[in-house]
Amino acid sequence: MSERPPRVGAMDVGIDAGIDVAGVRRSFGTVHAVQDVTFVAAPGRVTGLVGPNGSGKTTLMLMLASLLRPDAGEIRIGGVDPISEPGGVRRLLGWMPDSLGAWPSLTAREVLVATGQLYDLSRVDARARADELLDLVDLAALASSAARVLSRGQKQRLALARALVHDPRVLLLDEPASGLDPQARIALRVLLRRLAAEGRTILISSHVLSELEEVVDDAVFLMDGRTVGTDRVAAAATRMRSWRVRVSSDPSRGVEAARADVAAALGRTMGEVGSDRRDLLVAFADDAGAVAGLRALVGAGVPIVEFAPAVGDLEHAFLDLRVAPGEEGSHA
Amino acid sequence: MSLRRLRTIIGIELRQRVRSVGWYVLLGIFAVILIGILALSFASFALGSGGNEWFFSLVIMLVLLLVLLVSPTLSGSAVNGDRDAATLAPVQVTLVSTAEIVIGKFLAAWISGLAFLVVALPFLVIATAAGELSPAAIATSLGILVLEVGVVAAVGVGFSAVIARPIFSVASTYLVVAALTIGTLIAFGLGGLALRSEQVSITRDIGWDAVPPGCEPGLLNQADECPIYDELPCVENSYVSEVPRFDRVWWVLAANPFVILADATPPTYVGGYPQDLFSQIAYGVRAAQKVPETETRYDGCDAPAVSPSLTPEDQVEGTAPSWFVGLLLQLLIAGGLLAWGIARTGTPAKRLPPGTRIA
Repeated sequence: MSERPPRVGAMDVGIDAGIDVAGVRRSFGTVHAVQDVTFVAAPGRVTGLVGPNGSGKTTLMLMLASLLRPDAGEIRIGGVDPISEPGGVRRLLGWMPDSLGAWPSLTAREVLVATGQLYDLSRVDARARADELLDLVDLAALASSAARVLSRGQKQRLALARALVHDPRVLLLDEPASGLDPQARIALRVLLRRLAAEGRTILISSHVLSELEEVVDDAVFLMDGRTVGTDRVAAAATRMRSWRVRVSSDPSRGVEAARADVAAALGRTMGEVGSDRRDLLVAFADDAGAVAGLRALVGAGVPIVEFAPAVGDLEHAFLDLRVAPGEEGSHA
Repeated sequence: MSLRRLRTIIGIELRQRVRSVGWYVLLGIFAVILIGILALSFASFALGSGGNEWFFSLVIMLVLLLVLLVSPTLSGSAVNGDRDAATLAPVQVTLVSTAEIVIGKFLAAWISGLAFLVVALPFLVIATAAGELSPAAIATSLGILVLEVGVVAAVGVGFSAVIARPIFSVASTYLVVAALTIGTLIAFGLGGLALRSEQVSITRDIGWDAVPPGCEPGLLNQADECPIYDELPCVENSYVSEVPRFDRVWWVLAANPFVILADATPPTYVGGYPQDLFSQIAYGVRAAQKVPETETRYDGCDAPAVSPSLTPEDQVEGTAPSWFVGLLLQLLIAGGLLAWGIARTGTPAKRLPPGTRIA
């Protein structure tokens, strides 16, 4: 069992609506999709939900979105219980599902207008809001196209706009960046930062960890339907990690020569320095080790042009948690 | 229940239907079939020489048949089809309630079914003009058609919310339609025959055994010793037989859409005999309500009385109209399925239909 973080802000209602989940469990027959999930997502912050396929991310999102009833545990969205008061939660909550379904023959604008009306906006308000959102997600040019002809990325942006129709305080985004081109990804990142700065709570799940890393403030790790305790995440983050070293070298000398130089400067064997195409990979125990290593390389006159962690913080923690399920007992 | 949200749900459904090509193809095929029926009917019923009342009732029956065949496809995948297309969950997270979703879809399916009646309307008008039927008959039969479309729409939407896979829910809707149209007939026939009761037949007749040899009571110039009819004794015989009890199962047949249509339409009798197909069917169903007598008597000794010959109109006299019993039964099935569908689609969902993802 992982430790439960202290519950904060559980009963805050109003502008600061956070997500508070304690001991949530849900099975489908014999499949235990979510076994024990406890976390807090704070207003004004973007919280990443990280976990491998089948770790229960989507099931958890569905329970938060008031679509699925947990078998046990408690959920509060802005202090409101989605089981007893689904209507209250739905007012607060914008949900963007991982599989985008838009009525195929309705136009992008009609999808947003209809959704607005389902949130009790008047026809006029719903139209105004739809146009606003089409501009926001850069779909104004496609406003009159049927949802069927939109590309995957465009549908994804339409789904995001739909989740924002009623100006929700809490946003649940399931794989929002999949199918987006780089420009749209940057736009999404900027938008999410802005929405968080407005005091909204944003929970976002993604497989693309490097991308998540650029936007999240906090991360919740999900393994086999359980949230991983913060101490275990911290432990994973401080474990040995690989750094990418790029040496500016004469192409005629080849990677092997650079590898020998680096190994010599660091006082390691050739076997301890890996290579990845034209880059070299060196493991350091912690940040201090990396600093010392870089000093040594520069001091030895190795022409370093790039020295950076080979994987991002999230990815490092994630991969480390993944390979170490056997050690779980020692951390718990 | 918010009217605006309900209207939005109906609007989403109808807009999608109106924009699909398949919808117009279906309406076109429907119109072509009706033209064929009308042409055939005009050819087979010689106008002016009677039988025109049968003509209208036949055409409206065929319209009912076609509508019953088309309606399940319009409604049978309303909810689970949306779930498959992942468009259901985004609606469920809005403020709209499950009841509003299911009822909105039901009303949308009903309205699209009525589009077929609108296509059929000119044909019905022609048939009516040719058939010279009373306005009351036309209004009633149209009203029943509208209700029947609604019942099938409710059954279809209900099943689509209960059963996970669209093909199975459409098939189930067809099975219910088949059960109501053909199944009731079979149940009525078999049920009536299975529930038999004994009937005692008592006959009194002249004791022919008492006639001496050589005598023939019918002859005029017979010998004095031969008895005449009045002198012959009367002998009573009784035997027991079993009769089917259709009076116990008539209500099964009452749930048949065609029977409802026929029975609800005011009957027309000419000289005591049914004047159109509706009245004919209604007579058949009403006659089934009669409890068979437990004892029948036939007296051959008395002078043969003029047996009161009852016309169908006389026989129907005093029987209960069955159409609202049948309609009530259908409304119960339809309403029950809708309520079940609403319960099964409710969120937050406790259990999901097997093999489905919520989103």
